Amino acid sequence: MDQNNSIPAFQGLVASPQGAMTPGMPLFSPMMPYGSGLTPQPVQNTNSLSILEEQQRQQQAQQQQQQAQQQAQQASSGTSGQTPQLFHSQAVGGSTTTALPGNTPLFTTPLTPMTPITPATPSSETSGIVPQLQNIVSTVNLGCKLDLKTIALRARNAEYNPKRFAAVIMRIREPRTTALIFSSGKMVCTGAKSEEQSRLAARKYARVVQKLGFPAKFLDFKIQNMVGSCDVKFPIRLEGLVLTHQQFSSYEPELFPGLIYRMIKPRIVLLIFVSGKVVLTGAKVRGEIYDAFENIYPILKGFRKTT
Amino acid sequence: CVVGDRVIDVGSEWRTFSNEKALKDPSRVGDAQNPLLNGGDLTTMISKGTGAASFDEFGNSKYQNRRTMSSSDRAMLNAFKEISTMADRINLPRNIVDRTNNLFKQVYEQKSLKGRANDAIASACLYIACRQEGVPRTFKEICAVSRISKKEIGRCFKLILKALETSVDLITTGDFMSRFCSNLGLPKQVQMAATFIARKAVELDLVPGRSPISVAAAAIYMASQASAEKKTQKEIGDIAGVADVTIRQSYRLIYPRAAELFPPDFKFDTPVDKLPQL
Repeated sequence: MDQNNSIPAFQGLVASPQGAMTPGMPLFSPMMPYGSGLTPQPVQNTNSLSILEEQQRQQQAQQQQQQAQQQAQQASSGTSGQTPQLFHSQAVGGSTTTALPGNTPLFTTPLTPMTPITPATPSSETSGIVPQLQNIVSTVNLGCKLDLKTIALRARNAEYNPKRFAAVIMRIREPRTTALIFSSGKMVCTGAKSEEQSRLAARKYARVVQKLGFPAKFLDFKIQNMVGSCDVKFPIRLEGLVLTHQQFSSYEPELFPGLIYRMIKPRIVLLIFVSGKVVLTGAKVRGEIYDAFENIYPILKGFRKTT
Repeated sequence: CVVGDRVIDVGSEWRTFSNEKALKDPSRVGDAQNPLLNGGDLTTMISKGTGAASFDEFGNSKYQNRRTMSSSDRAMLNAFKEISTMADRINLPRNIVDRTNNLFKQVYEQKSLKGRANDAIASACLYIACRQEGVPRTFKEICAVSRISKKEIGRCFKLILKALETSVDLITTGDFMSRFCSNLGLPKQVQMAATFIARKAVELDLVPGRSPISVAAAAIYMASQASAEKKTQKEIGDIAGVADVTIRQSYRLIYPRAAELFPPDFKFDTPVDKLPQL
């Protein structure tokens, strides 16, 4: 029981959100770095009503501690604090249920407590817009040295210009992707529209290389970058946005027509245009794109052009 | 017993006449360099002499080695010289040059942009200084006096803002009006009209997403075409650093509501309906 109340001294709070009694439920906290993979807390097997009271007490205790930590962090971090809106609840989307033996009613828990500085945006109101993934960049190690000349000569759809670039550029039609294959055996695969497609395409390239006689393996497949885009369907006042979010935004019409918004958490770069189109990039997992968009959407709504 | 103390005269060495308006202050010893920027080196530099006595038999100058003692800041001094040259080419006042020097010094001491070419940093500092003083210059104008490409100046600009944790105000159409109009030789009336047109066009959101420079150029075109001093798109494009097709695009956006954009007291040489339609 006391485990739940213990909070480590360093940056993160191992908060036990309300109702994360089910094992395997990942814990989120506004303070933890994204995707830290916190260990779930063990299930408590005590009686019903006391658990509810305990949860409430725990919530309050954690809120206070979060607030105290928040303030301490704010004081130390000075001007480079994150905007309140970014502390928008990171929690699992809304309803966690406690299934306890006995007579506790199921209840939908509210989302993780917001920090006191956050203006209360009703977090139940989602944008209803889902960013579409446009490009995935992934790398894989084929595990053996390759002779690029033979690959270029024998493979179809391969180009190799050693004077221009030190890799073979190979393309396949399904999924429509391009791969850069280096002589060390490492390969970069770009152009896929989903994680699965990227993995499939990388496997296809590895098979091509294997069929050419190299002992190719498929080691350390990792998605390095994901790009998504969406449309908020209303024009945006970029000048207003750059004024209020100066620390994160860069808007130089002479250099680029869009506003470059570098969100800290999750670490995503968004290109926001006057027309309302938004491009999100820099994600390692799909959820980061979705979260970043959910974070930016209320901000953009505030800068909607009224005419 | 003491015969006399304090007999050494600590006043100025030369006789100074109060009515003589000498350019130099003869009581000063040493050059009036600002020590703020150089880190206070107390070195002596022997400059190349003038006159016959400074050359020895073979025509070589005596005291050839003007050794730069401040080797640690040699790059900085070089940069200051470069900044001064660039600023001189576009006649920037001393306060902008001083601000630029200060910015460069801060960036140089921070060492976060150490890998970048000093000239690029200097050009970007010049750009930022103009912005901070309220008289922004376009990137293209800075490019014209620097050997660095616009892309590199833009990159360094963003890096410097991040390194110094500052920000600059957004550019507006009015910032460039007086400069462009005087370079084109347009009278004050036309300049005021163009300023009004550009401001109104932005307020009415006729040109969303267009660079303020392009909107300013289009406004100048419209104002000049309505006055006696008509300027072609090419001329305006040359001065503003904007392609004439870009002026055409922005002009097409503001043309439909031209009547509302002109200031109420404007004297039309060519009426609004006779304005060129591109």
